[in-house]
Amino acid sequence: MTLGQLAVTVALLGGLGLVASRFGLSAIPAYLLAGLLLGPNAPEALSLIQPSEVTEFVAELGVVFLLFFLGLEFTFDRLVRSGRRTVLGGSIDLLANAGLGLIVGVAAFGLSFGALVLAAAVYISSSAVAIKGLIDFRRLADEETDLVLGILLFEDLAIALVLGFAATGGGSGAETVGIAAKAVAFIALSLAASRMLARPIDRLLTRMPREFFLLFVFALVVGMSATAHELGLSEAIGALMAGVVLSDTGAREEIEERFFSMRDLFAALFFFVFGLTIDLGAVDSIGWIVALAVALTLVGKLGGGYAAGRVGGYTRRQSINVGAALVAHGEFTIVLAQLARGNPKLSGDVKADLTAFAGLYVLATATLGVVLMKESRRIGRLLFPVTT
Amino acid sequence: MTTELRETRLPGVGVKYTLMCRGRGQRLAVILHNDGTREIYVFGRATDEEPAAVVELDDDEARQLGAVLGGAYERPKIVEELEMALGELAIEWIPVPQESPAIGKTLAEAAFRQRTGITIIAILREPEPVAGAQPEDVIEEGDTLVTVGKLGQYPAFRKLLAQGPFDG
Repeated sequence: MTLGQLAVTVALLGGLGLVASRFGLSAIPAYLLAGLLLGPNAPEALSLIQPSEVTEFVAELGVVFLLFFLGLEFTFDRLVRSGRRTVLGGSIDLLANAGLGLIVGVAAFGLSFGALVLAAAVYISSSAVAIKGLIDFRRLADEETDLVLGILLFEDLAIALVLGFAATGGGSGAETVGIAAKAVAFIALSLAASRMLARPIDRLLTRMPREFFLLFVFALVVGMSATAHELGLSEAIGALMAGVVLSDTGAREEIEERFFSMRDLFAALFFFVFGLTIDLGAVDSIGWIVALAVALTLVGKLGGGYAAGRVGGYTRRQSINVGAALVAHGEFTIVLAQLARGNPKLSGDVKADLTAFAGLYVLATATLGVVLMKESRRIGRLLFPVTT
Repeated sequence: MTTELRETRLPGVGVKYTLMCRGRGQRLAVILHNDGTREIYVFGRATDEEPAAVVELDDDEARQLGAVLGGAYERPKIVEELEMALGELAIEWIPVPQESPAIGKTLAEAAFRQRTGITIIAILREPEPVAGAQPEDVIEEGDTLVTVGKLGQYPAFRKLLAQGPFDG
């Protein structure tokens, strides 16, 4: 990638993101679409940019930053505090959608590690798209919004485990279980560290001159990613946990302020670079999988969300809103596919299929999900004319 | 009389406060975003699904509005009555009249406490209020004085503030 190409790319991403937000859509599908169109695979009309070591490196950094910020946002305490409804609703959502995802995965790849990754990709809704929708459609004041955000948090924590071994699992069964156990241990250790180290880190960061603050945080993030990598886990889980460790320190706000612009840039480039690797030529083989997954997602998310809402004591109309907010998939689905792409134990075919699947599936559900969120109240009124 | 103000955490977004208004049964929701902006959702009736209005405020605007609602600028009647209930001692917000001869004098020069018994504890002014007023603080045009004293001492204080005299 030359500097000129980079300039054109970034400008294009900015423009597309702007157009998407005009239509009330998240920028994620827009970035993916840009990558898909400009990439070397089918469609080939506009093939301007070749994936290279540079784009791969950008994608890797993108994953690291994306997850670091997700980590900053969620803490275990918040999940515990958000209460019984969240745990109950989150479990219903997990069982319904991971189950349906596994059906799709097994249908596509047979009983294999690829099926597991696909199940996770179908399970995890997009917090980014859902939160943007909740703000844009003025739903933050609604009672059921508490449940939606709680379930999204629950999903993010559940998926952290899968992120740990998505890049390295898939050898023998025992080996995969070993890696999963390592991932659990790594998460547990990081959570413990976030409690014990919060104060010392706080003292260190407040005494640090501002110019080195950025460097120190950067070193911690990349360092934990590298540690995870050395342990045979995904670097993603290291970055996520670096965020969790820092989320309890007083430095969190300053980090968010200083890194926000960087995150947006790297996230845009990450989704774009991922889009480059999507091959629409694979549609013949995976088109039906995407269609099946989208259909089952509608069933699982709308149904699971509705059930979670009803169990939590919300009205029928409110429960419809809960389900609709969970349909959109995005960042984690793509991150999972990206990690699987770097997994040496998966065959090339499975990787290509997973990549194309994740891209198309996110494009479909992110668009559909936003429309459903916008219309969910009207749908609720149509289905349940009498409020109960 | 209790006020039903409910606090809920919105993970990834911020904190939400919901208030049921006793007057006309309206519902208010205030959302504090993690990035500092605030949003106020107003619902015509408590059970409405669609908000009648949504107001977005940045940090400065929200703080100013908060001060107005809390009565730091002008005190609504109800607050006055509340202070009566505190007994003889009162806290009063008193704007300095435009023509006041006290403008330009320090608190020590004006000597309100020696002459009327009223103590000035703070001065509200733009852009920065003076929290603990010192003897050397100068009264400026547009100030509002936050005072403590006995109710009976206020008429004399108001007269002195408006007309003086402050010689010597």
